[in-house]
Amino acid sequence: MPIIEVSNLTKDYKLNVRKKGLLGSIQSLIIPEYKMKRAVEKISFTIEKGDMVGFIGPNGAGKSTTVKMLTGILTPTDGEINILGMSPSKQRKKIATKIGVVFGQRTQLWWDLPVSDTFDLLKSIYRISDSAYKKNMEMFNELLGLKEFITQPVRQLSLGQRMRADIAASLVHNPDIILFDEPTIGLDVIAKEKIREFIKVVNKEKNTTMLFTTHDMMDIEKTCKRMIIIDHGTIIYDGTVNEIKEKHGKKRTIVAEFAQNINNIILPEGVEITEEADNKKHMQFNRDEVQVSEVISYLTSKYNILDLTIKEPEIESIIREIYEGGIDYDKTVSGDSEEVISEQLGVSR
Amino acid sequence: MEQIKAYKKIELLKILFVFFKMNLKSMLEYKFDRFFIALAIFVREMVSIVVMFLILTRFVTIGGWTMHEMFFLYSFLFLSYSIFVFFFTGIRDFDDMVYQGTLDRYLIRPLGLMFQVVAARVDFAAILGHGTVGILLFTYSCKAVGIVWDFKSVTYYISALIGGAIIQAALFMISSCFSFWTIRTVNLRNLIFFNCRRFAGYPISFYPGLVQKLLIFVVPFAFVSYFPAQYFIRKPDLDMFWNGYLYLTPLVGAAMFVLVYIFWRAGLKRYSSAGN
Repeated sequence: MPIIEVSNLTKDYKLNVRKKGLLGSIQSLIIPEYKMKRAVEKISFTIEKGDMVGFIGPNGAGKSTTVKMLTGILTPTDGEINILGMSPSKQRKKIATKIGVVFGQRTQLWWDLPVSDTFDLLKSIYRISDSAYKKNMEMFNELLGLKEFITQPVRQLSLGQRMRADIAASLVHNPDIILFDEPTIGLDVIAKEKIREFIKVVNKEKNTTMLFTTHDMMDIEKTCKRMIIIDHGTIIYDGTVNEIKEKHGKKRTIVAEFAQNINNIILPEGVEITEEADNKKHMQFNRDEVQVSEVISYLTSKYNILDLTIKEPEIESIIREIYEGGIDYDKTVSGDSEEVISEQLGVSR
Repeated sequence: MEQIKAYKKIELLKILFVFFKMNLKSMLEYKFDRFFIALAIFVREMVSIVVMFLILTRFVTIGGWTMHEMFFLYSFLFLSYSIFVFFFTGIRDFDDMVYQGTLDRYLIRPLGLMFQVVAARVDFAAILGHGTVGILLFTYSCKAVGIVWDFKSVTYYISALIGGAIIQAALFMISSCFSFWTIRTVNLRNLIFFNCRRFAGYPISFYPGLVQKLLIFVVPFAFVSYFPAQYFIRKPDLDMFWNGYLYLTPLVGAAMFVLVYIFWRAGLKRYSSAGN
């Protein structure tokens, strides 16, 4: 049985329409005019126990609204949510013991006090037994290095340390489900990596179900198998990360550095030059139409090449194309083979 | 689905205690700064008292009230406000919690929202500032006013202070509720609250009928200071009002709190259905 079941979830906001100018402001103060805005429209999905799911979409797509509905902060306008057999808006307090929420932009730590004080507070709020608390703290010390800064006031922590502490704080009561709302926002690469590693370990060891919202595609690629893309309040993709790469990431680019400048290069059919600088040329083609090995053997047989790199499109640019409507994912056919392209010919990456 | 156990009283008390301890520690982090906030409040309030003192030493009485009686009346305002802040700082700062998203965090914890709002904050500087003024006024005046402290009068005194604190909490809560509708009312609230409070620093019998009615029925500060003080000193101007008012302070407090709590629940419902 799925741990989270969402069906036809819809959320409308009432927006106060403000008119322009001073007169307009006065007018809308006296006779307020409202407009309904649909933030989330009939979305449905299910998540199984232990799954890690990425929830992505541009700003204002409805991600945070959905997360807030899952936690019971917001009541849905229509549709249903079933978490462990409960409805979040009706059984808010009960669900609260089963869910942990990390808001990347807001801390739940007490700003002026050492990190450990907030943990003490959470221990009594969630009625965590001494043994379970001790066990969790040991894990946090080991994996997040919490010990290094647990006695420091939160205001003195770096953003990375604060985030680590915040994540630990949301996990201290052993929730079955953790919702992350942009957990890596504003962090440097190393801090992000540390957090992703930790999340993966927790998922593995405790079989915790996790749902992320993020703008960082690397978060998704490194942690989740499945991703849900939401835009304008509706789900536009729900599937594996690999699948979307296969479906949409068909373009390959070969970057070759030639021994001398070649002006009139003759290329096989379907290969185009997209960028040129000095002796370096970027050549793009569709993987389904042109074989990578053919292009390479063609180039190496005709020209003197110093360096050669093959690039596959990053997930980020694929997503960008989906947002912009550049890809109609329903109509494209999936790729045929799984090639390990970057290892070919031992070229440098 | 297993049932979660309801919190035992002892567990809730423990949570209250941990919150309290954290507030105390937070304050001690900035003891210097907090001390000056308390001092600033103390000085600000003492200025009006010194002015009152200077006027009263020259004219002896105002409307038959002596200086000691006036100060005794005034002490109710400070002591009850101090008690209000001690228990309900969270209600005073509630709109802040809504705007900063703290409320969302409380909503994802397995505890009642009102409990967390009340437990989460204690403003020691305000308690100290107002409390010191109140205690000074009380000790200066209570002997001269001539109160016989027996069981009945002590009970009355304590219940009047607590009732007064709850009346003020309810007034603050009304304004807090508007933040559920994303309407900021802090300044309107301060305008109404603190000016009515200033009125209530004098016997309400001084004022024209309209202001008296305002202080009894609309912003019932009369039950915070005038009627409790009159219970003890019985100045003749009490004849202007129904005698039963003397005993109504706790009742007014309780009734207001219940009504405002219903309004608050409605606001919370609207918050979760509309978002912020």
